[in-house]
Amino acid sequence: MKRKLLAIALVGAMTLSLAACGGSGSSGAGTDDSTAGAAASSGGGSSDANALRLVNGKIEVDAQLKALAKAYEEVSGVHVEIESMGGGVDIQGQLKQYYQGNNMPDIFVNGGATDFANWEGLLADMSGEKWVEDTEAEYVDGEGKVVGFPYTTEAIGLAYNADILEKAGIDPASITGPDSMKAAFETLDSKKDELGLTAVIGYCAEATNLYWSTGNHMFGIYEDEGLARDDTKYFDMLADGGKIDEERFEKYAEMIALFNQYSDPPLLVSGTYDQQILNFASGKYAFVTQGSWIGATMTADDKEQYEAAGNFKVGMLPYAFEEGQDTILTNSPSWWAVFDGEKADAAKAFLQWCSEDAGQKILVEDAGFISPFASCTYVADDPFAQTITDYTQAGKTSGWHWLNNKEGLAQNALGVVYQDYAAGNIPDAATFTKTVSQVTAQYYGS
Amino acid sequence: MKTKAQGNSALSFILLIAGIVLLVAALAMDVMGTKFAGRGAMLIFGIIAFFAGLYLIPTMKHHRKIVYFIFLFPLLFTFAVTVIIPLVLGIGYSFTDWTGVKITKFVGLANYMSMFKDPAFIYSILITFVFVIINMVLINVIGFCLALLCTSSIKASGFFRAAYFLPNLIGGIVLGYIWQFVFNNVLIGMTNHISLLSQSKTALLCIVVVYLWQYGGYIMLIYITGLTQVPGDVLEAANIDGATPMQTLFQIKIPMIASTITICTFLTLTSAFKQFDVNMALTNGAGSVPNFMGAYLSNGTQMLALNIYNTAIAKNSYAVGQAKAVLFFIILAVVSLIQVRISNSKEVEL
Repeated sequence: MKRKLLAIALVGAMTLSLAACGGSGSSGAGTDDSTAGAAASSGGGSSDANALRLVNGKIEVDAQLKALAKAYEEVSGVHVEIESMGGGVDIQGQLKQYYQGNNMPDIFVNGGATDFANWEGLLADMSGEKWVEDTEAEYVDGEGKVVGFPYTTEAIGLAYNADILEKAGIDPASITGPDSMKAAFETLDSKKDELGLTAVIGYCAEATNLYWSTGNHMFGIYEDEGLARDDTKYFDMLADGGKIDEERFEKYAEMIALFNQYSDPPLLVSGTYDQQILNFASGKYAFVTQGSWIGATMTADDKEQYEAAGNFKVGMLPYAFEEGQDTILTNSPSWWAVFDGEKADAAKAFLQWCSEDAGQKILVEDAGFISPFASCTYVADDPFAQTITDYTQAGKTSGWHWLNNKEGLAQNALGVVYQDYAAGNIPDAATFTKTVSQVTAQYYGS
Repeated sequence: MKTKAQGNSALSFILLIAGIVLLVAALAMDVMGTKFAGRGAMLIFGIIAFFAGLYLIPTMKHHRKIVYFIFLFPLLFTFAVTVIIPLVLGIGYSFTDWTGVKITKFVGLANYMSMFKDPAFIYSILITFVFVIINMVLINVIGFCLALLCTSSIKASGFFRAAYFLPNLIGGIVLGYIWQFVFNNVLIGMTNHISLLSQSKTALLCIVVVYLWQYGGYIMLIYITGLTQVPGDVLEAANIDGATPMQTLFQIKIPMIASTITICTFLTLTSAFKQFDVNMALTNGAGSVPNFMGAYLSNGTQMLALNIYNTAIAKNSYAVGQAKAVLFFIILAVVSLIQVRISNSKEVEL
């Protein structure tokens, strides 16, 4: 009998421990710390039931956003937890895991139509919010509902080192088309030693880690350069089975050929983003094919080199592959969306506060964002802020439509073609055009 | 005595019913999204009551079986939750248009059809097979040679064993980035500023080399164990009979470690099939193939596992990725079955 009792007790203990494991899983509300910890830099799952959670896709401004959250907590008493992801983390994949684990953040970042499509029917409608009146950069979904809050503006243009151009006697305003661009490149190339340049341009077509630069941003130039903000002519062609306007693309390909020719050979097919920005910040390249986001890197990570190079002035030129193209491409690179859950109203209130004076002051002055809100009076302390403001005020901007390209186009198709072109496997502009057109048709067809 | 049995049977019945009711109620509450805090406890007590009832069922004939089942249950349950259910769900997802968030409809075999029409995927399968064969041969040959060296009477063989094994202790991702630096920044001077990683063919070779470097030492260690177990008296007898070192190697050592060779062959086979981390860190699948089945491919160095990952994550088509994973599972299952067969027949021979 004693043995029997013992056996029963043991069985009971085993089932209890088993059920305890099952129990915590099914209770659902517990935060999934293992996955949260893997991606979050903030960690520390807050137990405050009213706290908001924001998944941020720009890890470089993690500290500034935490300061923003703290300022908001002082005003409203609502704690906002910032969870930053970046540097190669697949944010949408992580968010899907959160969704499966019943652990959705209240505010999270979305980069374009494909990202928003993942969450169709799950996002809060923000059409009635006050901030919507104050901006043109909000994300509107297919049904006309406002589902994305813009928090910054970024620009894609041919970034240049103004001091070097001045020393070489080149007026940036004189570069208005392929011929003048080529002439400027040749002049710079002939004065390389005297100007202390390693190469005329820092263009990198490495496909393993930098496919996004070529496949998204450089390709986006073909889609939008010189067009009105809402003109989607070439994007529509692409969306329709991956078609390319070969005449336009071939002129664009000639410009890429120019970049291939004058880029720094070690950088061209096997460089890294860090090398590219560091060399530009140290004054070794006159031009660089990255957008306004590099300003933050130049003034933070590469601060010493940038100071040593004299904190030179920078500016942006249109990627004028056809004569008369005079716009740079600006857009909100991603948006914050609100998950339509219990705390949607609190999240909306937080975003409204972010769009107002106190929030904008931190976002612009500390985080270096270029405000998409008309009423904002702060100017970011970013090397590129002035040039973006100038182009915007002159109305010389085009939109970004590459955000809505078929998902993975850059990584799985285009990046490698640019690398092939740079490495010389693709001999000329015509072949490059044909290959890109074949690859996009294939990718959209599959 | 009879009344006790009746009492037991009534108690068992009540416990079983109560257990099931509590269990179902707790699960139903969870499915309906009620936030009632006691449902975890309900679930636990339900399970305990159920098993207590099961234990008390008044039967002599099946009592032992019931006890076995109760003891086995925790393992079976864990196995089901971590292996069986995901497998079934995964196969199920491959017939839908799952996006990772929601399912809108069943699509039948469409995912499987599209995957076989995709030249990039077929290319991935092909290079994976080529990679597996090359690696299996190279790693075993090199691992065996290293093992021979390290078991011979050279000086500091302990140091060499450790040195060859060390790369295996570094994670594949880290190894990939280290070698990426080597190929892109160090060796580039010798290759005329064109990185080996930027051309598909040389990039594939690079992956083979890195993988060899990572895995060779590990296989060497297994061969060393095999070689040291060859009985000394046999070798001595061969020596006395005047066998040359070559004869000893081919006539005695290799036949004696046949089972080790089988193990190593299949270890390298399956691990090369599942190659992912080095591939991802070193090239992330990039590389151009100008003309394959009439298409220009951008995934010149993408092995099967990475292709599956990219389909799901980068191309955001979870369902197709799932379908590919099912095929991958079948391939690996077949390979493992063959492995079990062959190693079993070898054991009979010995």
